[in-house]
Amino acid sequence: MRETWFLFRHFWKADVRAQHGVAGLVLFVVATVYAVYQVVRGRPEPETWNAMAWVILLFTAFNGVSRSLEEDRPEVLAYLRTTVQPLHYMLARTLHNVVVLSGLACLVVAFMGLLLGWADLDGARLWGFVSGMVLTAVALGTTLTLLALIAARAGAGFGMTAVLGLPLVLPTVLVSTTLGGELLRGVLVSDTWHNFAFLGALTLGSGVLGAVLFPYLWRAS
Amino acid sequence: MTASQHSTSRGVWAVRILGLLLLSYTFIMTFTVPLGPGIADVRVTTQTVTEEGGVYELEIVGHSTHFSTSAPIVFLRRGEHTLNASAIKALDDTHLKCRVRLPKYIPSRSYDVIVNGKSDGTLSYANGFFAEGLDVKSKARLANDAMAFDQLEEKDLGFHFPFQPNIMESIRNLMLHVPMWFTMFLLMGISFAQSIRTLRLGGDDDRDLRAVAAVKVGLWFGVLGLLTGSLWARFTWGAWWVDDPQLNGAFVTVMVYAGYLVLRGSVQDAKLRSRLSAVYNLFGFCLLVVLLMVLPRFTESLHPGKGGNPAFSSYDLDSALRAAFYPAVLAWMILGTWMYSLALKTERLRAQIADARLTRSSMPLPLLLVTPASTSSLEAVFTASGKMPVVVGVAVIIVMGLGLWWVRAVRELRRLGREESELLNP
Repeated sequence: MRETWFLFRHFWKADVRAQHGVAGLVLFVVATVYAVYQVVRGRPEPETWNAMAWVILLFTAFNGVSRSLEEDRPEVLAYLRTTVQPLHYMLARTLHNVVVLSGLACLVVAFMGLLLGWADLDGARLWGFVSGMVLTAVALGTTLTLLALIAARAGAGFGMTAVLGLPLVLPTVLVSTTLGGELLRGVLVSDTWHNFAFLGALTLGSGVLGAVLFPYLWRAS
Repeated sequence: MTASQHSTSRGVWAVRILGLLLLSYTFIMTFTVPLGPGIADVRVTTQTVTEEGGVYELEIVGHSTHFSTSAPIVFLRRGEHTLNASAIKALDDTHLKCRVRLPKYIPSRSYDVIVNGKSDGTLSYANGFFAEGLDVKSKARLANDAMAFDQLEEKDLGFHFPFQPNIMESIRNLMLHVPMWFTMFLLMGISFAQSIRTLRLGGDDDRDLRAVAAVKVGLWFGVLGLLTGSLWARFTWGAWWVDDPQLNGAFVTVMVYAGYLVLRGSVQDAKLRSRLSAVYNLFGFCLLVVLLMVLPRFTESLHPGKGGNPAFSSYDLDSALRAAFYPAVLAWMILGTWMYSLALKTERLRAQIADARLTRSSMPLPLLLVTPASTSSLEAVFTASGKMPVVVGVAVIIVMGLGLWWVRAVRELRRLGREESELLNP
């Protein structure tokens, strides 16, 4: 556990020191939302709002996850392989991605609200939507981390992550868009809790699968 | 690895011959077992609503019925309320005219239409009649409420497939479309097992070859399942593709396995390739189970056997369908595993040649889903004679798809065999 925490802090420090990484993602979110605002001009329909929010989150997640792996230089990886247990590395990477993506999810909602309005979300339903976004970010972070690792090992970059990842995250996206759509239609948070449970189950499933499978990816050769 | 290690034993050939026999049985059953009689449509031709009540002229369209010889009786039914129709006149064997007279106040607006006759037995059409312009009162009664059901004629129709409104003759697709997915499940399961063995035991390249051969054949079955399902959907639900959890799940599954082949194509090192693709394969199979077996059960779906519409669930998968469906599943599965063994042979030859040359062979990409554009005249052709042409279309797609596969596989095997012998005896 201490190893995981140490690695997590290492990734975090690397992010803070080389600020262009996270700053690039923030810029991506802001620019995309602004582009959407320019296209829609004004207050979009709730359905459009919903679709935009989830698509922007999805693309941000792909960018964020594949970005974090390009930093691992071969020498650093070779060193880590001899000193760190694969499970700990995996957990730290996932945790790091999850924290970054959750922050970005909040940013997406905040910026969408600022430019495009809140699309009838208020009070508990707004917080429900935000927590749905964050939970989705957690699920995406967990699934995509493993896929980005596969893509990195295959020597391919962002494109391969997208090809492998898009079908695999589709169940998550389907559940979360349903959740968002229901909240926007005025369904109470207490009536869509099963979608939160689905998201949690998907996260748990892919997390366990990732933890079991990652050691096989970690080995050299 | 020598040739004798992988030669086919007599037992395997026995199973394959059994498979071929079952396959012929499947095709014979699919196309020759008659469909039971049923009501295809109920139309209101004229309606007169006055202060006293309504008079409706109905036209009933039957499918493989014998109205002109069986002197049928017609009545409406909702719960315990029934009402006889009068002035029943058979236009021909499949068209029937009749009149119903309803009072001003009725217990319900929609009724099941039931036709009973000597040669067809009892036929019913759920919610076939809707009484427009009348008022509903819960205490209202109909004239024939005390009708005795034991007077109805019963008829033993012999061995036949059950009639379903709207599905009609295309119920035969059950023996063609559904086993495609069963076979894909089996093949992906084989691939899953081989991938687990690759990760657990490592080393042996043959396990990896088994995994990829199973995925390639399974993907072929998946694509055929999508195409045949698309055609069937067009003529039962009215669209080539509908937004439905079961359909989306099937499509995503096919995409995941296409991604598997793309991943394999992009890694040069054989050891690394086998490990990476095995990890992805395990992920993909878990997703397949979630998408096709778990998620659709929690949501409303048009697709049979799931939430909204239990069309082929236990209560109407009757003995005739069972007698044709289970052998069909077995037959397609045997064919699938046969194709798998051929694909495995191809992969092994390829690997040997690549070893000999130290180059990598290229990976063919799977077919993508193509939905043809519809025209109205084409539609009329497909909906004719109880949607029987849909079944023919589905069979043609499958036979052509699998035929293409076999031609390709045999050619590929021959070519690779030639190449290998040239390499070994220059």
